[in-house]
Amino acid sequence: MQLIDKLSILADAAKYDASCASSGAPKRSSEGSSGLGSSNGMGICHSYTPDGRCVSLLKVLLTNFCLYDCQYCVNRRSSDVPRARFSPEEVVRLTLDFYRRNCVSGLFLSSGIIRSADYTMEQLVQVARLLREEHEFRGYIHLKTIPDADPLLIEQAGRYADRLSVNVELPTDQGLKTLAPEKHLGSIKQAMRTIYTGEQTVLNEPRAPRFAPAGQSTQMIVGADDTDDSTILHSAEALYGNFRLRRVYYSAFSPIPNSPKSVPLAAPPLMREHRLYQADFLLRGYGFSANELFKGPGHLALDIDPKLAWALDNRSLFPLDLNRAEPALISRIPGIGLRTTQRLVELRRERRIRFEDLARMRCVLSKAKPFFITSDYHPQQAETSSALLYQQLRDRPQPQQMGLWG
Amino acid sequence: MISLDCDDLFDTWRQQARWLLSHSIDPSRVSWAGEREADLFASDESCPEQPGPFRARIPQALLELLQRAACYRGEQRWSLLYEVLWRVSHGDRTAMLSGDQLGSELQRRIKQVDREAHHLHAFVRFVRLPEGRSSLAEQPEYVAWHDPAHDILAPASRHFIGRMGRHRWMIATPRDGVYFDGEHLHHQRQCPTGWQQLAQAGDDPGGELWLAYYSHIFNPARLNPKVMQGHLPTRFWKHLPEGPLIPALISEARHGKQRDGQASAVAARRGKRIGSGQ
Repeated sequence: MQLIDKLSILADAAKYDASCASSGAPKRSSEGSSGLGSSNGMGICHSYTPDGRCVSLLKVLLTNFCLYDCQYCVNRRSSDVPRARFSPEEVVRLTLDFYRRNCVSGLFLSSGIIRSADYTMEQLVQVARLLREEHEFRGYIHLKTIPDADPLLIEQAGRYADRLSVNVELPTDQGLKTLAPEKHLGSIKQAMRTIYTGEQTVLNEPRAPRFAPAGQSTQMIVGADDTDDSTILHSAEALYGNFRLRRVYYSAFSPIPNSPKSVPLAAPPLMREHRLYQADFLLRGYGFSANELFKGPGHLALDIDPKLAWALDNRSLFPLDLNRAEPALISRIPGIGLRTTQRLVELRRERRIRFEDLARMRCVLSKAKPFFITSDYHPQQAETSSALLYQQLRDRPQPQQMGLWG
Repeated sequence: MISLDCDDLFDTWRQQARWLLSHSIDPSRVSWAGEREADLFASDESCPEQPGPFRARIPQALLELLQRAACYRGEQRWSLLYEVLWRVSHGDRTAMLSGDQLGSELQRRIKQVDREAHHLHAFVRFVRLPEGRSSLAEQPEYVAWHDPAHDILAPASRHFIGRMGRHRWMIATPRDGVYFDGEHLHHQRQCPTGWQQLAQAGDDPGGELWLAYYSHIFNPARLNPKVMQGHLPTRFWKHLPEGPLIPALISEARHGKQRDGQASAVAARRGKRIGSGQ
């Protein structure tokens, strides 16, 4: 099989993993030295595909032959897809070629499970080793970690890769039992702990060899089973807490060819994925806890964003005086983000904040207006009930013409 | 009205601005060449020859902001900077902050410039040059054509020195150009025609691999061209090898051939189930 055919099949097989970040790597440079590549902590999106996703890394599987039969996965062993397998050298060649063209900033390599977890992991490590040692490649490497692989192999992977990830896929044991019988939450978390331990060991030891300096991430599939958003976000919160994960990615289940009966035929609304990302950002960046966002089991609202929903439930805190309030509280105002908060704090050191300043900072005024006070503004809507505000502020779906082909 | 010309060079502008400031010349009395075509009120007021008495203290942070904003191509490129400098040196630091009307324009320009530098890092595409194609003593191994909207090439292209190691590379634009000879970066304010021709030669052996990757990593079941265009402005499409693929990928996905994520070229191949006992 030609290299280009393998690339087509193995890129097509890899597209369901949402992660694409190339950020968080330490500063490296090839200035004046042999070898290739640099990283500076900032990711670069080299292209965008028409699904709106960025192309930052060469994202491929080493092979899509797989012993497992995960129902949601296009590469499960019972799936009728074309199969291919790269040799490690072929992946190296493609990575370096795309890198020199400035098409990508590195490699994100994953694989179906062949022979055994250890064998598969060895192959992945081999690619990273060739890139780093034979070719002095200093670009970004993200390796998918096979949960049941020997911890020693995971440690080796951490020496070469900037980021390691183990996919949870489904956040409950029950979900895994039904849809991914070969996977176990226990061994997934064990692998995460191995990576976490590796990271902790080299922490504060400047002379120690690096270990996955861009940390670890994971992915959960949304909408392949009936797990609700509350369960998903509570388990994400636990992962952030227990293993210091950098990111949890949420991937709306994407219908696959010859879909088995155990998974839905249609994708969940992409808005659900979007709301999960918004809520996740509130956990990571804004100091929210999952318990604040959910009153009980259930989904996030699709028609208002989670921050607005929280503010409507906590009207007693608002309106906030922007000239006095704590920065952490200002950033909890709907429509005002971390950047705007920082700018407001800088500005109020110089002078009083006025209403028109907010308009200039391009925050979402329509959402923010009922929730703040400035020296020349007091919201009329301060006394309006939350139910009425909800009616005024929720997103109404745009009327849409039906597609001609359904 | 004093008319000045800084040849779009920051250092020249800086000298001029320092001079003006020392004489406490109000921003409304100065304009820079190219900013007003026929100025009705232009009287040839000349710049004083000796430095004036006013000694302004300029925070280092402001100088950096001004230098970044100076890369912006657009209306009042230089007089806006002088106005900011004037206000800050007279004690009004809000002119640097985005809460202020002038400051927000300054910050907007910086953001545009940074964005354009980022576009260079992201969307430059190097093509490997076959041996012996150029009259340069040591010809570049990789060439690229790019068309930035602001004057970011010289500072932003340093990024590729770290990235490309000892490779020799060149980026040509309609205005200026850079060439890295393996050790030093050379910037030409007027890009030599020879460089421009090299960069636009067109043939790209091996380029089909990237095109295959691009069309197969796209998930047609999640078509969302609006988001794509927000991040990848249409003006770059024509210089990107994958640009010509985009309309066809969109229309194929839109016309219902794609109910799942698989690319149609892969769906057309023969599949293989794997025995569970393997």
